Amino acid sequence: MSSAQTRNLIVLAGIWAVLLLAPYWMAPLGGYTALATRVLVLGLAAMSLNFLLGFTGVLSFGHAAWFGLGAYGAGLTLKFLALSTPLALVAGILLGGICGGLLGLLIVRRRGVYFAMVTIAFGQVFYYIAFQWSSLTGGDDGLRGFSRQPLDFGLFKIDILSEPNNFYYFVLFCFALAVGIMGFVLRSPFGRTMIAIRENERRSRFLGIPVERHIWIAFTMSCFFMGFAGALYALVNNFADPRGLHYSQSGDFVMMAVMGGMRSFWGPLLGAAVFVVLQDYLSSITVNWMSFVGLLFVLVVLFFPRGLLGFLQRSRA
Amino acid sequence: MTQLLLFNVTNGLIIGAFYVLMALGLSLILNLSSVINFAHGGFLVIGGYIAYTITPYLGFWGALLVAPPLTAIVGLVVERVLIRPLYGRDPLYSLLLTFGLAFMIEDGTRFIWGAQGKPVTIPPYLSESLSNDLFFITGYRLFMVAMVIVTVALLFVLLRYTRLGIRIRAGTLDLETVAALGINVQRLRSLNFAVGIFLAGLSGVLAAGQLGLEPTMGTGLLMPSFIAIIVGGIGSLPGTLAGGLLIGVASGLTAVFFPAASEAVIYVLMAVVLLIRPRGLFGEEGMMS
Amino acid sequence: MSEAINVLEIQNVTKRFGNLVAVRDISLQVAKGEMCAIIGPNGAGKTTFFNLISGFFPPTSGTIKFDGHDITKLATHQRVIRGMARTFQITEIFPELTVFENVRTAAEVAAGYRLRPWVNRAEAAQIHQRVEATLKLVSLEAKADRLVGELSHGDQRASEIAMALALQPHLLLLDEPTAGMGDQETYQITQLIHRLHRDSNYTIVLIEHDMRVVFHLADRICVLDQGRMLAQGTPKEIAANETVQAAYLGNAA
Repeated sequence: MSSAQTRNLIVLAGIWAVLLLAPYWMAPLGGYTALATRVLVLGLAAMSLNFLLGFTGVLSFGHAAWFGLGAYGAGLTLKFLALSTPLALVAGILLGGICGGLLGLLIVRRRGVYFAMVTIAFGQVFYYIAFQWSSLTGGDDGLRGFSRQPLDFGLFKIDILSEPNNFYYFVLFCFALAVGIMGFVLRSPFGRTMIAIRENERRSRFLGIPVERHIWIAFTMSCFFMGFAGALYALVNNFADPRGLHYSQSGDFVMMAVMGGMRSFWGPLLGAAVFVVLQDYLSSITVNWMSFVGLLFVLVVLFFPRGLLGFLQRSRA
Repeated sequence: MTQLLLFNVTNGLIIGAFYVLMALGLSLILNLSSVINFAHGGFLVIGGYIAYTITPYLGFWGALLVAPPLTAIVGLVVERVLIRPLYGRDPLYSLLLTFGLAFMIEDGTRFIWGAQGKPVTIPPYLSESLSNDLFFITGYRLFMVAMVIVTVALLFVLLRYTRLGIRIRAGTLDLETVAALGINVQRLRSLNFAVGIFLAGLSGVLAAGQLGLEPTMGTGLLMPSFIAIIVGGIGSLPGTLAGGLLIGVASGLTAVFFPAASEAVIYVLMAVVLLIRPRGLFGEEGMMS
Repeated sequence: MSEAINVLEIQNVTKRFGNLVAVRDISLQVAKGEMCAIIGPNGAGKTTFFNLISGFFPPTSGTIKFDGHDITKLATHQRVIRGMARTFQITEIFPELTVFENVRTAAEVAAGYRLRPWVNRAEAAQIHQRVEATLKLVSLEAKADRLVGELSHGDQRASEIAMALALQPHLLLLDEPTAGMGDQETYQITQLIHRLHRDSNYTIVLIEHDMRVVFHLADRICVLDQGRMLAQGTPKEIAANETVQAAYLGNAA
């Protein structure tokens, strides 16, 4: 095994060690397990977005729509259909992914600024629907009246509602599943075409890659992952919020990816951690925390566009 | 029924006029510099608040005259310092920047002027209605529409006949060639941005008189402006004009029959346009692709 | 009498942009293993002609046949799949990937793996082999692990050619392969193209401004001027052609 591969393995092991032991090292640092759970879920969302943004080079600024749809899908399932956590997750995944895939068909022929604008606008459509259809979604107050159900394995049950650690490990398991698939795809021949498209779309076309089709596939995949993250998020708070669909939420996800490093696989997770912690901290000390978040956006864009990990990871194997 | 129809269609036209003013500014900036200015609503708010601050000294008309140019100056500074470094880069970054800027402006205005809505006094002779039947056609509303018409006309004159205007139009089509002709592209972008922000500031002053003034008023107008541009066709100013009016009127008409759906209809319109004519009503094929 | 099918058959192709006629009624046949050079003054329509062949846009009128099939209506990537590979005047490569990764992408697409979630060990080994062989052909095996964006101009062009070769093309379209190169690099690329033509028997159509390259390498030269085909023939014939001399060769190329 080459030294680069060994190094990658060690880094990977380190990351998983940190994640697996989070409930234990967070407490002494003043954190708490629920915070870690939140970071995991938002990190998954940011990584799902980055699957499209950082690895295919396509800017969707309305991706929170699929996140929100996932949340509502899960919440509505638990509230009206069945008291089953796995079913809720599947519902969220499907809702986010299928709606995303359909929209993708409409807009994938355009790129750049036009694409970004249309994704923003369409994201807002879903926000608006969630807001207005209050009989179903609870409107501005959000969807309530459901909670995550214990995992029933037949012989035994795991309570993930009242035990924060249990829930954390459940989310970590889901996270690992999603992230594993993502990594697998990125390393596959298809994944390499995604990266090719990011690097040079014209050259990709002139290699025989049907660029629009591949972008659509990558887009749809990222929507499925996004739906998954959203469904998990609904479980985190036992609550689904129309604000989760708003373009400002999309902006947050993009910022997490950029802050952590768009070109790196784990960057968005790091970005999510920093963003969540910062936001929590700021909102507790000042009422004008929003302007500081805005300032953060401006500073990162002007001075740290490659993000934290991009900063470190300049030379490659 | 006619009364109701007239009321809502007039409302629709008036709000459409606003959308047009906002969307034109957004469109100018988008077309030349490929920047999606999320902070456009913020500049509208700044325009309104500057007007509010000046009114005690210069009166309503003075504020109307002075606030938009002042807002444009703020826009110039922002462009020069924050946006110019990003032109060569992926449009992602200018998007994020204006996005963050929007937050800063909203909170900033809240910080300076407080979160409470501020009253804006308009001259009494403007607030009178045309007649008892047409109570909703106040002098102010007529005045607003007149202002928008005049401004749009002036804008088209600017673009058609002045040197700056011709350069902006040329730059929108082919910035490289414009640069090769020796024209200072940096300055062109700045001036273009300033014109766009001028329009936003003007919208702010007019809106303040109609809707009242508070820090979040810009965001409500931002999304419809986007949609006006998409519906009308990205890259086409006449398209933006048509788009803005169209969605305003559509919204007004819907309010007559399905009041709850009057906001939703503009999204539906956008979806329909994207389905059957993705380039927009007046858009060019291949624009922005 | 069976006639060998021409690799490329272009018949009366015209391209209009509004009122501007960029390419006017051009016909060209390229046989297998032939090297055909397209020359002409700036603005003669050479790049537009190339773009028509590679499918950047469709012709206003006329037909294009590739390996006997009518491809006039086909999109770019479809032509590539049928065996047309192209390089560009401004090198189009994947700058932040290594040379190996650049060529591997091409090889995988050519092998039909572009939608695959994974390849088995045998397939991966085969691809690896193919990439190595291609790199050897362009003399880049030593630089396989370097980022293409960091290489010299000449090496970048060689990488681009390697990518084209990895597609196992029936036709190589080279757009000004020596553009922007100094003498040494021009020599290297010229040698490479020569090897590809003589030793590996590739069918090549290239646009070139450098007359030394053209007259040294080409079997046939086509001279374009103002969108029209001025003359076609062997290097000797073209050198002797007075119309051509007047239009083009008279000026320092």
